[in-house]
Formats: sequence, structure tokens, C-alpha cells
Amino acid sequence: MFARLVRESFIRNPRRKLLTAAALMVGMAVATATLTVALEVGDRLAREFRNLGANLIVTPESDTLPVEIGGVDYRPVDEGAYLREDDLGKLKMIFWRHNILGFTPFLDVPSQIVPADGAKPVSVTLIGTWYEHPVPVPDGTRFVTGAKATHPWWNVRGRWFHEGANEVLVGDALARTYPGGLSIGQTIDFEPLEPKVATGGLVKLRSLTITGIVSTGGAEDEAVIAPLSVAQELSGHPGQFRQLFVSALTKPADALSERDPATMTPAEHDRWFCSPYISLIAYEINQVLPDTDVHAIRQVADTEGRVLNRVGALLWIVTLAALIAAALAVAATSATTILERRGEIGIMKAIGAANATVAGIFLAEQLMLAVVGGLLGFALGLGLARALGVSIFGSLAEPRLVLLPVILAIAILVAVFGSLVPLRRAAHFDPAPILRGE
Amino acid sequence: MFGRLLWKLVRGSRGRLTVAMVGLISGAAVISALLNLQLDIESKLTKEFRSLGANVVIAPRSAAQTTDAGSATPILFSEGVLLNEIKLRAGDSVTAAAPFLYIVARATGAPVVVAGTNLESLAKLQPAWKLDGQWSANGAAGAPSCVVGRNVASHVHAPLRSSLSLGYEGRAQTCTVTGVLDTGGPEDNQVFLDLAAVQRFADLPGGVSLVQLNVSGSAGDISAAVSRLHSAFPDFDVHPIRQVTEAEGELLNRIRLLIAATIVLILVLTSLCVLATMAALAMERREDVGLMKALGGSISRVVGFFLAEVGILGAVGGLLGCLAGLVLSRWMGERVFSAAISPRWQVFPLTIGLMIVVALAGALPLRLLGRVKPAVILRGE
Repeated sequence: MFARLVRESFIRNPRRKLLTAAALMVGMAVATATLTVALEVGDRLAREFRNLGANLIVTPESDTLPVEIGGVDYRPVDEGAYLREDDLGKLKMIFWRHNILGFTPFLDVPSQIVPADGAKPVSVTLIGTWYEHPVPVPDGTRFVTGAKATHPWWNVRGRWFHEGANEVLVGDALARTYPGGLSIGQTIDFEPLEPKVATGGLVKLRSLTITGIVSTGGAEDEAVIAPLSVAQELSGHPGQFRQLFVSALTKPADALSERDPATMTPAEHDRWFCSPYISLIAYEINQVLPDTDVHAIRQVADTEGRVLNRVGALLWIVTLAALIAAALAVAATSATTILERRGEIGIMKAIGAANATVAGIFLAEQLMLAVVGGLLGFALGLGLARALGVSIFGSLAEPRLVLLPVILAIAILVAVFGSLVPLRRAAHFDPAPILRGE
Repeated sequence: MFGRLLWKLVRGSRGRLTVAMVGLISGAAVISALLNLQLDIESKLTKEFRSLGANVVIAPRSAAQTTDAGSATPILFSEGVLLNEIKLRAGDSVTAAAPFLYIVARATGAPVVVAGTNLESLAKLQPAWKLDGQWSANGAAGAPSCVVGRNVASHVHAPLRSSLSLGYEGRAQTCTVTGVLDTGGPEDNQVFLDLAAVQRFADLPGGVSLVQLNVSGSAGDISAAVSRLHSAFPDFDVHPIRQVTEAEGELLNRIRLLIAATIVLILVLTSLCVLATMAALAMERREDVGLMKALGGSISRVVGFFLAEVGILGAVGGLLGCLAGLVLSRWMGERVFSAAISPRWQVFPLTIGLMIVVALAGALPLRLLGRVKPAVILRGE
């Protein structure tokens, strides 16, 4: 009898059911989409932030004070400590290795360009670095990294040098101001400013072909950028470099990450060790590269942490608003359909139905609608989240099936609660005036 | 007559109208709060991004490197003229500007970069830098105060409150360390002193190596400011720090799009919710429509009543909702940005207009009902 009543109600008046189901579907679709985006957005934005470049810098611990102005180190090449290139593969062996997105070693060599026509040499800083360098990792794989990953804003007209080739990039300010100008395809001779140190007294020229003009908006615009191996040979420091820039995906700093690991309780220490805080990644790098000083680049790390926290909080609030709006929409339509069916309720009560039976029938209907609407809404919402992901981040948001039970639960909750108030009112209906049509 | 009938209508169905009103107010509150948020988000986020530090540099046009290894000769231009000009030309978008004069001095025998700058401006320019101590000691007589990078502090043993002596071309200068700076950048290896003190110390009166600016606003605002500065200082090289400006523009865009997309979704949803409530209200008015028609009211007049009723409902609900939305957006601002979101007047007409339109759209089924024969409705069928 109960089942037949419910079934009949669906067959008799599909329009009303359709309205409630549609409201549920739209509401749950929006809830699914915003929840999916909110869950995903931290990770996506963190990756976007890596466009800012490196957030960690590694320097030798026993270094003398660098004399660096505008990104160029004016220390003589024989001064200060160096780091070993061979060790870099170990960076991909730390616990949070997948969070290391890239790293690039730098070696600045004060040198001069010796014009072929015997004119006065022009002093210039030769920066040795990697562009796309395969780094052997101790586990047998190779990790390709370099300036492409850590300095994505470097803009090259022409093409980058090939690793290890006798090629060079020229900063665009230097290319403009160099007497006679410098252009792609030209070959220029370099010599280190202190040939005594580098080559044991012999003046050794190194001919490099220009493959591109680089524009960075920084000090590199007035320098030349060469493969690291070339810079190492020129300076007489094979296999060594001065600075390492590391770009790592990190969790925004909070109260825990700012504390000294030594003062944490074991439980806190575990939690600290299981979150990719920038301080933890710095600590791990320091473990595999001993005698180094690993430091977070504050401007980048701080801004990233703060903006990520803010956008995350914002999205959660907006998602909450979406959920509330969805709940209101569904409750409103549920209430409407019940009010519309007052006549029916009157008849049921007139022929002796208890309030509980009436409520049971309506709730069963709402429950079925909630499940159907929730399922359809979830599917629709996944599509919506996908579209949002593509248009905003250029990549798909992963569908999260975990959300399905959550969405279904919300749909049921909203549909049932939305009909509770009108049902309570229906319980007070006097059948007689309703049947009279008043 | 019209007014009296309207008043009776409203009073006669207080219960249902309250339900509709609650729906309208909550809808309008959510919509106005989110619109407010959307309008304010760019300025709020750009403010966050300012902790990235300087994004525009003005430097003299230099020939290829004129420096020798081991010593950097500052390239000079007069400070007074330039800073005033910058403020005049670039206007409000420049939130901080600091001149820098770099020299390589010696501290206990080792070369160290000494930067002369305005310490107060520097603190504003680089809010992310962590300083242990103070930027400047007020009213300190005798030796000027200086701030040292953390590497300098450890290498030349210049801890907080100690006295640091610097030598440059036979001249000597002592300063009291009032702060130790942690930046993670090359500034960790520098000593920061007041610009005038460094100019005297280096015997370069009025000399400045470069000026760093913090220009707020979108990528477009920054490039506009850069081109304004360009034309104002044809002899200087004005360039944005691309690392900062490009990434910032890109990120801002994405975040804005993200919030905008979510807000549009919620707008649609909230409008639907209000529409449903209003449609329910309209449906319940069927009998009144029938009665009025039976008494000889023309359909346009009858429908006019209800449209006026819903319209007023929408306007009042929208207005109250906007006020509630103000409180809501203030709370959101405090919660997310720890700063209140400034209310925008555009939000009011927008939200109220939207609410009226939605309410009227909800009443549209009434028109169709108007065609129904009064007798049928009055019979209660």
C-alpha cells in the first residue's frame, strides 16, 4: 500500500517531482564543483607559484662573505668555498623528493670578452648554469632540470645553448651596449679575468658561439650565460659551483613549521616530518648536502604561503556559501511541492491516515528524489569542475569519488530537512477546510 | 484603491510572505557579499603580493659592466631630484620607493657590500624580510645605526647592539648594529646604513646607484607606471623585475578567474532559489486572481497588483539582504584577509535590481494563470 502510494505519486504528477529533482541536481552540481575545486586548488596554485622561481637557496657553509651586488658576485674565483656538482643527484633521494620540482647550480666567473680586432677587452660576468641538464640520480634514473624549471621568466630570443657545447647566451642590455653590438650566430672569445689562477699563468681564450639573446629583467641582462661545464673550465673549478637554486612544492607555513624541530614533542615532530614545510625540505637538503647553508628565499616563500592560505580560506568560505545556497534552493522547492499538495494530504487524513503515515510517504518520496538528484548532480558537478579546471588552470581537476557519499548525504539531509517544516504544518491541517477548497 | 488592496494583500498573507522574504534576504545577502568580495579581491590580493618586494628598478643607463672584480664603482645620479620626480610622475600606484647606493667597504679586513638607503622605506619595500631588532634606533647620538645581514653578523662578528667599524678608501665609519636581517637573498651579505651616512662615507654626495620601487596594481597598472616613468626619465633605464611582475600577473589572473567562476555559480544558484520561492508564492495567489477576475478586474490590472507586490517584496528583500551582505562581507574580509572589505556602492543597485528581476520572473506563471476561467479556480479545482 505504502509503496503503491509513493509510486502512484511519481506517475501521476511527474512535473512536481521533476522540479524538486532539478533543484537538487543543480544544487548538488554546484556543491560538487566547488568542493572539487576547493580540494584541488591548493595543489594547483602551489604549482603556479613555482613560476616565481626558486624558493630555496643553497650556499657553501664555510663561505667567505659574498660581495654580491645586483645578483653578480664580485669575489675573485680563487676566494670562497664551492659546492660539488656530483652530489646534486642526492636531492632526488630525500623523503620529499617528489616535491623537488627543479634545481639549478650557478657559477659566476668574472671574465672579459676579447675582441678579435685587438680592441680593448670588455669585462663581463660569465654565468655558468644548466638549462635542461640530465642529472644522474643514485637510484639509477636521470632527472632533467635546470634554469627552465627554476627561472621560467627568462626569455630567450633565439635558442638556449646545448649542455656542454661551446655556446653562450648574451644578456640583451649587453648585446645593445657592446661596441658594435652582438648578434646571434656571432662567435666571441672569452678569457677569465684572472688567468693566472685559472690556467696556471697561460692566457687561454675560449671561443663561444652566441645562440640567443636573453632578457631576464635582472642582472643577467648585462652578463653572458654559458653552460656550467664551460664556466667551470674557464674558472679552473671543474665539477664545482657556488650557488644552488631549488624550487620545491611546499606547504604554507603555520605555527608548527616556524618552530625549532629540537623543541618539539615526538607527536609534533612526526606531524612536522610528514608535512612538506619549507623548513623541513631545507633540513632534508642539508642532510644530503653536508657543509651547506640551505635557506628559504623569504620574499617568495612568505608571499606564497600567505596567498595560498588566504585563497584557500576564501574558497572554503565561498564553498560554504554555495552549500548554503544549494540547501536553500532545495528546501524551498521541497516546501513548495508539499504546500501544493495540501489537497492530497487533506484526503489522506480524511480517510484516516495518521500524521506519521502522511509524513512517511512524503519523506520516502523526498529520499528517492534526493538520491536521484544527488547522483545526477554529482555527475554534472564533475563535468563543471572539469570545465573550471581547464579554463582556469589549463588542466583537468581530478574527479574525486570520495565526494559522492558526501554529496549524497548533503542531498538527503537538505531534501528531508527542507520538507520537515511544511510537513509539520501539514500535520496541523484540518482536512475539512482543505477539502472544501479553502 | 490600488494601495489599499496592496496593503491588504500583504497583510493577509503575512506567513507566506515571511517565508519568501527570508529567501529573498538570504539570497541577496549572499549575492551582495560575494559581489563585494569579487570587486575588492584584486586590491586585497595585490596587497598580499607586495610582500614579494620591489617590482620596478630605475637605474642609470650603463655601458657594459664598468666594474672591476672586487670593487663596484657606483654609478651616480642625483637622489633628491629623482625621488621627488618619481612621486610626482608615478602617483599613487607607487607604494614604496627606496634609493640605494652600493659601495664595497672593508669590515675587519674582509670586503663587504654596504648599501646606503632609507631604512624606513626599505622596511616598507620588503615586508617579507625578517628583522631581529629594529630598523633604526631613534635619537641615537653619535654613531649612526645600521642593519646587517645575517651572514655579515656571523662572519665579521657583528651581533645585535655591537659596534661595527667599516673602512673605505682610508676613511673609517662606525655604526651600531640595531638589527640583524634574514632575507634568504644576497641582502644577507650586506650592511644597510642610512643613505646620507654612506654618501658622506664614500664621498659621493647625492650619489645613488639605483632606485627600487614597489608599484601596486595589476600587470597593466605596472606596465603603465613603467612607461610613464620611462618617458619621465629618458636618461634612465626603468625596468620591471620580471620574475615578480610576470608571475604575479599570472597568479592574480588565475585566482581572480577562480573566485569569479565560483561566484557566478553561486549567483545562479541563489537566483534559482529565490525564483523557486517566488514561484511558490505566485502559485498560492491563484485563488485571489480568480476572485478578482470574478469581481470584474481586468487581467492586466490584476496581474499588475501581483507584480507590484512581488516587485516591492524583491526591493525590500534586496535592500535588507544588502545590509546583511555588508556584515557578511566584512566578516569574510576579517576572516580571510584580516582586513575589512570596503563596501562598494555599485553592489547595492546591482543586488536590488537582480532581486526585483528574479522576483518578477518568479511571478510570471501568474500571467498564464490569468487565462484560467475564474469559475474553475473559485470552485477549488
